[in-house]
Amino acid sequence: MQPADLEQALRPRLGEHLLGVEPFEGTAGKVRFDRSAAVATFRALHDELGFTHLAMIGGIDWVAHREVVYTLWSDAAKQYVFLSTTVPADDAHVESASGVWPSANWHEREAWEMVDITFDHHPDLRHLLMPDGYAFHPLLRSFKLHEPEELEVKVRHV
Amino acid sequence: MGRLSAPATSPGAGAAPAAVPAEPAVPFVEIEAVRAKEFVPAAKEALTALVAEQGQRKLIQPVFNWAGRNSLFPLHWGLACCAIEFAAAFGARWDAERFGVVPRSSPRQCDLLIVNGTVTWKVAHKLVTLYEQMPEPKWVIAMGNCATGGGPFRTAYSVVPGVDKLVPVDVYIAGCPPRPEAMLDGILELEKLIRERKE
Repeated sequence: MQPADLEQALRPRLGEHLLGVEPFEGTAGKVRFDRSAAVATFRALHDELGFTHLAMIGGIDWVAHREVVYTLWSDAAKQYVFLSTTVPADDAHVESASGVWPSANWHEREAWEMVDITFDHHPDLRHLLMPDGYAFHPLLRSFKLHEPEELEVKVRHV
Repeated sequence: MGRLSAPATSPGAGAAPAAVPAEPAVPFVEIEAVRAKEFVPAAKEALTALVAEQGQRKLIQPVFNWAGRNSLFPLHWGLACCAIEFAAAFGARWDAERFGVVPRSSPRQCDLLIVNGTVTWKVAHKLVTLYEQMPEPKWVIAMGNCATGGGPFRTAYSVVPGVDKLVPVDVYIAGCPPRPEAMLDGILELEKLIRERKE
């Protein structure tokens, strides 16, 4: 599958919400879509194009905006595809993919806690790697490494 | 004084015994055969008198210290790469069991918590829970640089900078990771601490 095939298959479904398909080495392409058509994009790739396995969800902090990258795998085509959408930093919301791929659950929890991207309609959006009540989003570029004394984590009320 | 200085002039002459008065002989004590029936109340009375004089704690404490330091039971809880060295110390080559150190799987059977590895904030409250489940008296060894002060991850956002922020630590073992010999040395240091324990 080539980037042109992806665009041909996705354009009728997404319209102008499909922002473009770029070639990306080792994959079928990198699909950029608008976040308002997130679920439609997920459904099209999962149901129509056979990308049934969600390998990874990553969040990237570009200071002014943030980017969510999905890596999908198709068992039939033996190919990866990247999905990418951008969200503004002051309104970082995307629709959750966990209704389409259940494995998105933990990946979205991690992306939320590390780079503060909220996934709407996520069934269980809470901390994954950090304790409950952790006050920081440590992979944001605004997060400064601190002296240990400045980090106050309430471990337990004894 | 005169008696000591007199033979100094001729120590090897052999004339001294005549002038020195004989030492008083040890008085003969008649030892009676004691029946167990009589011995038990007598010993009880003597022990009661001793306890009343010295205080029970002072008498019993050395016994507990001796027993405790010769049968330290650490919790078998591996956190990171230090746990590999921890395991090696109990293998055939270093054989920590010859000091009476036997790892147990339940915190309720343990009196020693060896924190071997990086403690993250996520696992911190589990460590505190395990520590609180252990019966008194209990001791803590921070094994390796991570447990001692966070190690290379000291300024990381997810790592506890030293396990002494969570539980009181008795012995620190340096190393990344420490060799099994260093761990045995730390256990022996802890035994010295227990030997001096007063309460």
